[in-house]
Amino acid sequence: MTHSLHRTGDASSLERDYVILAMLAKGINDSAPAASERLMRAGAIFKKHGPVNIMMESLWTISPVITVVYDDENKVKQALRALKEADLGISIVVSGLLSGIQAATREAGLSMHTVHLSLGIFGCKDKLPRSEVLDLTTMCGHHCISPANVAIQVNRIRNLGVPVDAAAAELAKPCICGIFNTSRAAALLMQLAEGDDKGL
Amino acid sequence: MKIKQDKCTGCGSCAVICPVEAIHVADGKAMIDKDACVECSTCYRTAVCPARAIIQERLKWPRLVRNIFSDVASSHKITGVPGRGTEEMKTNDVTGRFGPEDLGFSIELGRPGLGARLASVELFTVPLSRLGVEYEQANPLTALLADGDGHIKDDVKGERVLSAIIEFKVPSAKLTDVLAIIKELEGKVDTVFTVGMIARAGADGGLPIIDVLSERGFPPRPNAKVNVGLGRASPGGGVA
Repeated sequence: MTHSLHRTGDASSLERDYVILAMLAKGINDSAPAASERLMRAGAIFKKHGPVNIMMESLWTISPVITVVYDDENKVKQALRALKEADLGISIVVSGLLSGIQAATREAGLSMHTVHLSLGIFGCKDKLPRSEVLDLTTMCGHHCISPANVAIQVNRIRNLGVPVDAAAAELAKPCICGIFNTSRAAALLMQLAEGDDKGL
Repeated sequence: MKIKQDKCTGCGSCAVICPVEAIHVADGKAMIDKDACVECSTCYRTAVCPARAIIQERLKWPRLVRNIFSDVASSHKITGVPGRGTEEMKTNDVTGRFGPEDLGFSIELGRPGLGARLASVELFTVPLSRLGVEYEQANPLTALLADGDGHIKDDVKGERVLSAIIEFKVPSAKLTDVLAIIKELEGKVDTVFTVGMIARAGADGGLPIIDVLSERGFPPRPNAKVNVGLGRASPGGGVA
């Protein structure tokens, strides 16, 4: 999850990409009365507010964290407001454009406690795939999406008439945390399918 | 990972999905480059093989560390958190791990997507140890440090992982020293790395650290991760 922090892309694309997580603190509040039940309630709130993607429910009971992604800042605001009202006492973290998070937290009546800033990518950047491909692969927090699969999905859209949403869903499969934003991916895949082949 | 050659049809589905391009099809069969493979299990977990030819081998030390650092479904026994990271700032409203005078860092070698040898971690951990940083004890990488000087245990140095996160905190007065190490090593690693920095927000919600970082040549990207302070140690307790 640290690496929802390093999702790449331009601001107009990132403004449709917000990850939220609810997490229990090991050894502190993970066994407090009904800790698991409170985590489930956070997951239910996530689900209620129209996510693009969410962690599989079969994992909710065995993971100390539940993750979700939205493509609309307003949904983030509403989800945060509902989480505040629910007063679950578990940690909530939002990842995305800082300006959007600041607005969402303010309007939900919350304040920022701790921030994790991205200082960027360093080192042998010339070895990385082209930026449009990276915008897609970095949407899996554990980097399980392969650049080769991006090229395959672009080809399926372009030459086999596969619907872009289906191609985005196919690309999302290795991301078990459910934070791969299929809505944003569909837009990015379409741009690639309409563009050139260089670097794919 | 292993591909059973008698079952493989050579369709290449596994090669497409491998995040580190460790699988290639030759002479009608898919083969895994064992040195390049980081044991992330993506090819197995996504069930892309129509012939079910991919199997998970029982890994022995030191190859096992590849799986610990690369497989999202692998929870380290210390962290309990899926993947290679820790709770870091995500539960800071409960743990108080990072105080108002602390700065936290996450330097992730190999991300995004290129992978890294654990030997390259030492490039960072030796000068960072000299600086006296406080490593995150729950991070599996910290357990691989052989000594207080930041050296990595010899038997795991050759292992390749999808990424490895060096997590530590320092007093804010040491910010310049940490940034100097990052700057110096940028051109010396054979892979990529990402850098994240953790700070408490001010009582007014302000983040003066952003201007400080910009002045020192490290302007933060527009993305950030924010703990919104809803966690408590107990249902009736307060925020840390």
